[in-house]
Amino acid sequence: MKKKYSFLTAIAATAMLITGCGGEDEKVAGAKEGAGSDFNLLEDGQLTYASSGLYKPFSFTEGSDLTGFDVEIGEAIAEKMGLEPNPITTPWETITQSLLGNKFDAIIGSMAITAERAERVNFSDPYYYSGGMIFVPAGSDEITSVEDLEGKKIGVVAQSTYDTAAQKYTEDIKYYNSDVVALKDLTVEGRLDAVITADVVGFEAIASGLEIKEVGEPLWIEQAAVAVRKEDEKLLEDINAAIQEMVEDGTYEEISNKWFERNLLDVDLEGIEILN
Amino acid sequence: MELLKTAYEVFMRTYPGFLEATLFTLQITAVALVLGTILGLFFALMKISRSKVLQTIANLYITIIRGTPLIVQIMFLYFGITSLVVLSGFWAGAIALGIHNGAYIAEIFRGAIQGIDRGQREASSSLGMTRGQSMRRIIFPQALKRSIPPLGNQFIITLKDSSLVYIISVPELFAMANREAAQSFQPLETYLVVGVYYLVLVMIFTFLLKLYENKLDVDK
Repeated sequence: MKKKYSFLTAIAATAMLITGCGGEDEKVAGAKEGAGSDFNLLEDGQLTYASSGLYKPFSFTEGSDLTGFDVEIGEAIAEKMGLEPNPITTPWETITQSLLGNKFDAIIGSMAITAERAERVNFSDPYYYSGGMIFVPAGSDEITSVEDLEGKKIGVVAQSTYDTAAQKYTEDIKYYNSDVVALKDLTVEGRLDAVITADVVGFEAIASGLEIKEVGEPLWIEQAAVAVRKEDEKLLEDINAAIQEMVEDGTYEEISNKWFERNLLDVDLEGIEILN
Repeated sequence: MELLKTAYEVFMRTYPGFLEATLFTLQITAVALVLGTILGLFFALMKISRSKVLQTIANLYITIIRGTPLIVQIMFLYFGITSLVVLSGFWAGAIALGIHNGAYIAEIFRGAIQGIDRGQREASSSLGMTRGQSMRRIIFPQALKRSIPPLGNQFIITLKDSSLVYIISVPELFAMANREAAQSFQPLETYLVVGVYYLVLVMIFTFLLKLYENKLDVDK
């Protein structure tokens, strides 16, 4: 009688052991409601914010830690709001969906302001500007301007502003969950003709030794901002205040200089289309 | 050789994060296995019961769950039902994996129970046992023993399938590998390394299962 249950008991015991000693569940986009806070936070006293984690140098993992420009901006914002920063990652394709589904409090993940997105979420003031840029394999001279993109095979991240842009030129789009992976695929013979992504991301890849090059000037300038749910007005207000404070007291410049050796907000916006 | 060297470098650089992620993979797999085994047992018994209603329910469960992709079930639990219940990535993933495996495990149990020779049941009823008694005392212990090898197989599949929950941002092993591959520009080495992680986990599991099989004397 005893024997036949021992197998199940063994599994159950193992499961309890393993799950019991972890205690890491908190770090996952959890479902706990923050109680008694002004902001309706996921975790009490913590600003839980998401990025793709696949967007070096803005969000990526070093060893086991999530780091990058976006992650540090999030840390600074949280600190100024008196909250504990809790950066998490989530696939980019479903990031808006996850925000609306209360999986975290804010997107601080290089999300550019667009009219379409603004219908679903509220954006803070921009915390950096970047250019949408075409990248091609280093040896390629097929594409020298935007017009040459016509009918070419272009790699982009689904649900990104680059996706929208690519659709204007071609039906042959290959989708990735990371710009960096798309750039890497650009170096594989015959996979892609071009990738459209942020200038800084492409330059970072080139600096890491990837054999690619940019084409011409940025196609447009986009404004990356923090995204929150429509109903979280107080949260947005305080995030905006935190960003402003950060810019004024030099914290912003410090972070920007650390990652890019320049101030990303310091951009000449004249004569270039601003995406919105 | 060059590849082995760079792969080793990737391994050395990533193991703190990867080990932590391995714990997540094991936790999800463990929860899924417990849930899957309970569900499997439950539905297997329903399927061999004499009640038409219970049989239909079990058939419905198995048809629907076995007929839809695991990734769809994961997304359904995480994104689809948020108006009813909001599950964390960990629980949505573990439950989806458990429900998914439950359908397969139910069939394993059913097969094992129905595979026991008819004569045994007839013999036990001629000894005066009721259907329930013969099930508990005669059929079930033998069936459980027989179901262990295919169960082990299913458990290995579960362990590997747990990699799919990366899609709902659970920081498990495969999610970690994706991030690492993206930031290091070394997909070849990274996926090689993470493949070895899974391989080692499966090998450990296979070994433990073998020990257990020997102890139970499954072959006899």
